[in-house]
Amino acid sequence: MARFQGADAFGAPSDELSLLPFNFERTGTEQFLVSNMVGDFLRLTEDEIDRLIDLRLNPGDGLYEKAYASHLITGRNQMAQRQVLAMRLRSRMSFLRQVTPLHIFVVTLRCEHSCPYCQVSRQSTDRSRFDMSEQIAERALNIAFDSQAARIKIEFQGGEPLLNFELIKTIVSAAKLKSGATGKAVDFVIASNLALLDDTVLAFCKSHGVLLSTSLDGPADLHNKNRPRPGNNSHELAVSGIRRAKEALGPDRVGALMTTTEASLDRVDEIIDEYLRLGLDGIFLRPLSPFGFAIKTKQFQRYDAQNWLAFYERGLRRVLEINRQGTPFREFYAALILTRMLTDKPIGYVDLRSPAGVGIGALVYNYDGSVFASDEGRMLAEMGDNAFRLGHVNDNDYRSLVLSDRLIDSISNSLTQCAPECSTCVFESHCGADPVYHHATQGDDLGIKPLSEFCARQKGIMHLLLDILAKSPDDAAILRRWAAA
Amino acid sequence: MRLTLPMLRMHQAVTDQRGALIEVTVDFDSSIQSLNALEAAAYRIIGIATCEIEKGVDRFICHLTARKTSSRGEPLDADALKVKFLYLVTDENLRLRIADKTEGVRNVILALAFGSLAASQKDPP
Repeated sequence: MARFQGADAFGAPSDELSLLPFNFERTGTEQFLVSNMVGDFLRLTEDEIDRLIDLRLNPGDGLYEKAYASHLITGRNQMAQRQVLAMRLRSRMSFLRQVTPLHIFVVTLRCEHSCPYCQVSRQSTDRSRFDMSEQIAERALNIAFDSQAARIKIEFQGGEPLLNFELIKTIVSAAKLKSGATGKAVDFVIASNLALLDDTVLAFCKSHGVLLSTSLDGPADLHNKNRPRPGNNSHELAVSGIRRAKEALGPDRVGALMTTTEASLDRVDEIIDEYLRLGLDGIFLRPLSPFGFAIKTKQFQRYDAQNWLAFYERGLRRVLEINRQGTPFREFYAALILTRMLTDKPIGYVDLRSPAGVGIGALVYNYDGSVFASDEGRMLAEMGDNAFRLGHVNDNDYRSLVLSDRLIDSISNSLTQCAPECSTCVFESHCGADPVYHHATQGDDLGIKPLSEFCARQKGIMHLLLDILAKSPDDAAILRRWAAA
Repeated sequence: MRLTLPMLRMHQAVTDQRGALIEVTVDFDSSIQSLNALEAAAYRIIGIATCEIEKGVDRFICHLTARKTSSRGEPLDADALKVKFLYLVTDENLRLRIADKTEGVRNVILALAFGSLAASQKDPP
């Protein structure tokens, strides 16, 4: 029978110690941030890190205990800590067992908005040749149900997907039949500007458990500037749609996302207040992606990582203040990062994981039947770059798509576990690869990370969160609740 | 006709000759300084400066070139650039020491983790 060993088994003298892998980053002249193999952090001085590497530690000296508790050292003949690290690493990476859980159906490229930062090449509403056909949809659905995940999510996008609502209904019905036949659970989301939301759509969403996701960039003048449409009433329609959807479907069945443009940078408080006013339970402070019309209209170049980080920090601190005043409200990206930093939950968020989420996290079925490794890959194709086009629903099945040379090359070339600077980064356990972003901005799936604004943003956010966790007990308690949710 | 994709702005790989340049040379004893560490440090400093590494007699000579102001308009002088590079080299030397001592156990842990992960694929989800 296995028994606990006595305390003396955990007090090995220094000549019986073994160093375990860790990464570090210099944060000051003689200060280092250190992380172990599963991303637990601690701070050490230069003297401590030297003593640690040389194993000049003894029980009772403080550093010995810190290093042992943080899985930086172990007894040479002890297997337990190696096994604990392996088990934790396995838990963190177990999202790999659920392959391609997200399937995006671009049911139409038509849209009645003209957003300058739009990531797709939208067509005017009267060109129905940009709608997905039933035949394409059926083939795509077959591919989606061949994925290995036990539960899949089908997300309808566009253009404005409600312009092809009839096809959405057809796909949902067919998917539910397949779900019943195969035992594979399926969830549905419609990503819509809600301008076309009506009682028919709401009734359908209610009866079939469809979630709604919309865009809300802030107060009316900011939202309408970012999202022009005939009548200049995008904000009014979005707000009305959110309220109607919450009433009809429930408060947790509709969410909103914002996109940061140059016009947003000085107005984060107002943006957050708009979300509060509508009774939404949180906000996702997103940067602008470098795709589609955001490039053509030069929106993407209007601010850099430092500008955005300043915006993000102001926003996060505002959100924390709201929580301190008694209103639960989350910043969703911080919550996601914190879940990775403070727990071993397998976060398969497709935009921040390594191996990258392209293809094995999500597949995108375009209106014309082309299949892309990610939504950003589809957006890149609208700019004339088909690097992330994996095939066509008429020519490929699921296996040939996810086992394509292009996809495997992209994922393997961008692995952070092997990449220069990434592999030794103190934040590697909590970060991810974004081959589409780096392909778009640097012409290379891996990217040169010292030049990467993606990298600068991730590091900036994680440093900020660690700083708050260390220095502000009240805010740290709020952040820990987000991670535990 | 092949489309030319728009090249997006990337910060700093010093080909832009518009601003005044700083040039700094730092050399190391090649009998004790790892070339791998120098190359890793040169990679990390890409955002600020380029680094060409030359092999001399018993020396590695690093030629750093940077603009006098960063892409954000912050001033940079030769001493600050040299100090930053030396810190980066020191850190890379430290990383090599850690890797040397831990590569074996790291591979054991990875094998334990992913061996289990692969094996459990046979289990029903």
